[in-house]
Amino acid sequence: MTAQELSPPDPAGGSRRLLDYRFDIVGRSKLWFTLSLAVLLVGLVSMAFSLASLGTPLRLGLDFAGGTLLDLRFERPVTTDELRRALQEHNLGSSIIQLDTQTGQEALIRMPPLTEQERLAVEETLRQQVGPFERNLVETVGPTVGRLLLRSGLVAVLISFGLIVVYLALRFQWDYAVFAIVALLHDVVLTTGLFALLGLTVGMEVDSLFVVALLTIIGFSVNDTVVIYDRIRENLRLVSRKVSFAEVVNLSLNQTFARSLNTTLTTMLPLLAIAIFGGATLKGFAIALLIGFSLGVYSSIFIASPLLVWWRQRRYGGKGDPDSLPSGAEG
Amino acid sequence: MARSLASWLNRLAFLRGLVFILAVVVALTYLGLSREVRLGLDLKGGTQLTLQALPTQEVPEITPEVMQGVEAVVQQRINGLGVTEPLIQISGRDRLFVQLPGVADPDRAVALLGDTAQLEFRKGLVPVSALPRNEQGEVTAGENPEALFERVGLTGDLLRNAYPQAPRRGSQSWEVLLEFKPEGAEKFAQLTRELAGTGRPIGIFLDDVLISAPIVGPEFARTGITGGTAVITGNFTVETATDLAIKLKAGALPVPIRVIENRTVGATLGEESVRRSLYAGIAGLVLVFVFMVAYYRLPGLVADLALLIYALCTFALFQLLGVTMTLPGIAGFILSIGMAVDANVLIFERIKEELRAGKSLYKSISEGFNRAFSSILDSNVTTLLVCGVLFWLGMGLVKGFAVTLGIGILVSFFTAITCTRTLLLAAMAIPSLRKPELYGVRMEAAQS
Repeated sequence: MTAQELSPPDPAGGSRRLLDYRFDIVGRSKLWFTLSLAVLLVGLVSMAFSLASLGTPLRLGLDFAGGTLLDLRFERPVTTDELRRALQEHNLGSSIIQLDTQTGQEALIRMPPLTEQERLAVEETLRQQVGPFERNLVETVGPTVGRLLLRSGLVAVLISFGLIVVYLALRFQWDYAVFAIVALLHDVVLTTGLFALLGLTVGMEVDSLFVVALLTIIGFSVNDTVVIYDRIRENLRLVSRKVSFAEVVNLSLNQTFARSLNTTLTTMLPLLAIAIFGGATLKGFAIALLIGFSLGVYSSIFIASPLLVWWRQRRYGGKGDPDSLPSGAEG
Repeated sequence: MARSLASWLNRLAFLRGLVFILAVVVALTYLGLSREVRLGLDLKGGTQLTLQALPTQEVPEITPEVMQGVEAVVQQRINGLGVTEPLIQISGRDRLFVQLPGVADPDRAVALLGDTAQLEFRKGLVPVSALPRNEQGEVTAGENPEALFERVGLTGDLLRNAYPQAPRRGSQSWEVLLEFKPEGAEKFAQLTRELAGTGRPIGIFLDDVLISAPIVGPEFARTGITGGTAVITGNFTVETATDLAIKLKAGALPVPIRVIENRTVGATLGEESVRRSLYAGIAGLVLVFVFMVAYYRLPGLVADLALLIYALCTFALFQLLGVTMTLPGIAGFILSIGMAVDANVLIFERIKEELRAGKSLYKSISEGFNRAFSSILDSNVTTLLVCGVLFWLGMGLVKGFAVTLGIGILVSFFTAITCTRTLLLAAMAIPSLRKPELYGVRMEAAQS
């Protein structure tokens, strides 16, 4: 069996590297943790700035902030000024207006939540003062709807975490499960932080699809972590007890490295295409997934496993392997 | 002799596997293409409304029974609108979720659904000439309707039917013809008998607004208007008359409702966004296919074949289960293809490792599948858990995403293991394909 290649060194070999692998990932744990902390800091600062300037840590889209959105295609090119003048009649002059830069015919108008009657009145004024149009999109979301969406999203994230912990604790051990969740939290928090940054810099808004994206990221990132854990478990069975836990983890990470990269690449190719060429509705979604999946594969390799090693070394001493403890000492 | 017989039998088994896969592909292609794809509102255009029931003094609490009443009335009104395949769903304690596919002009639908449509006939207490009038010169019930009209308990509940009726000669205005139930007919006769010839009007109120105040001629003083029918006149167009008739026929809502969410997508926008996202997704997948062949060689090609079969199976399953394709649904589908690729990547990386460890090709392939299995199982189960949560807690679009991703993962679990394995072992039956180089492992590495 494969145990052959993982055989312990001959006793005379002394300090020779026990296992043959290319990257010492666990050995540079500090570097990885620092990198993540730096990104976390950027995210937190962005959220703080966003909180100060927008009143919310993220730039909230219609789904969460509530409001009325009109997407109108006029028969002739229009200007923002004439639209604003028409809106002024309804005291909506401060609405956000986006014009399609290419044709100037399509306008996105975002207003505070309007009742159906108010909306129709606004449309009538626009039709009279600016010109006839075709309605592409009408969205009205009451402010309470957003709160409900946000709450059910948060609940969904928490329940997913709970189920994943239980499943992983059953299939592996409870500390594996805990660090998998730490890695997931890492992905969710950093993605959110980066979206706060995108909200500040390019005006990226979060909508209900962002919550879906976070959940998908959780689903995929835990995948990467599980595949690595699976390999660690398998290798632990194959290697001799003299090999430290850190070495086993390093070996497993190296063995699964190609798979992790290739899988992430193949998943990201369609997403990249959607982010660049896809319809506007899916763009933000695809970008969230791209960021989250990258963080997910990073955290699986560079966060979850090194943390597991750190913990086991602390708990079980030098080798980090419960089996290497004197008998009876295991809790 | 025995060896060649065994290999011959082996080959026969793989042939059977191949024939089976081929049959499945043909059947699923047929099933998948024989039905029309169900597109969600965001793709084909339409209106999606969330309505909230509001408690009143009479109905202080929105109970499930009240919501069922609201749902029934809304259902009836939508039926009157003639929308194909509308969706009406109670969501939560006091919300109603309504989807009207193809209705790109939500205004009429909103007006139709939003009114309580409580019709009431009241007895006038003063002559028509004494009623207040608005700027247009139409009679109104003024500030204090209770002083001008008396309730007699003749409400919309007592109607059997209502129809729009074309204008009479010399008039521009459409009318709404009402048919009472026996009890209503009796009350109406009594009301008209009391008012006949007095100059005092019948007050016809819709949602507490006076819409018409006709007087009854003296000829009805003895019997009242019998026969159980009445006509409402007013400034009706064909549409407003039709809509009022629909509302009256459906009955009044037990409580007022309010539109708290309205999402309307024009058909052209939907078409454009589906086209763009679909093309982008397909372009991405083509890249994935190319990558698989470039990196994994023969197994990559086999995986591409298996992926095509996977895509067909999943699509056919969507069709069979009647899954509605929405934009997030398509995203879920594309992501599930990513998951299916992942299963193959896991297996092939494992095969390569076994080959590098010096095992025979045949042994490496079967070991690769066996050892990758637990990883694939664990990773699929965890993703399925998240899908389950999304499906359970999510609403509307989120659900669509969870459904397509979940189905996709289940199918990929099957195809990645069964299809890829059968196809790969079938390829092994051809001697010229039994070279480690074709599996992306260099010769010397394999021999070492």
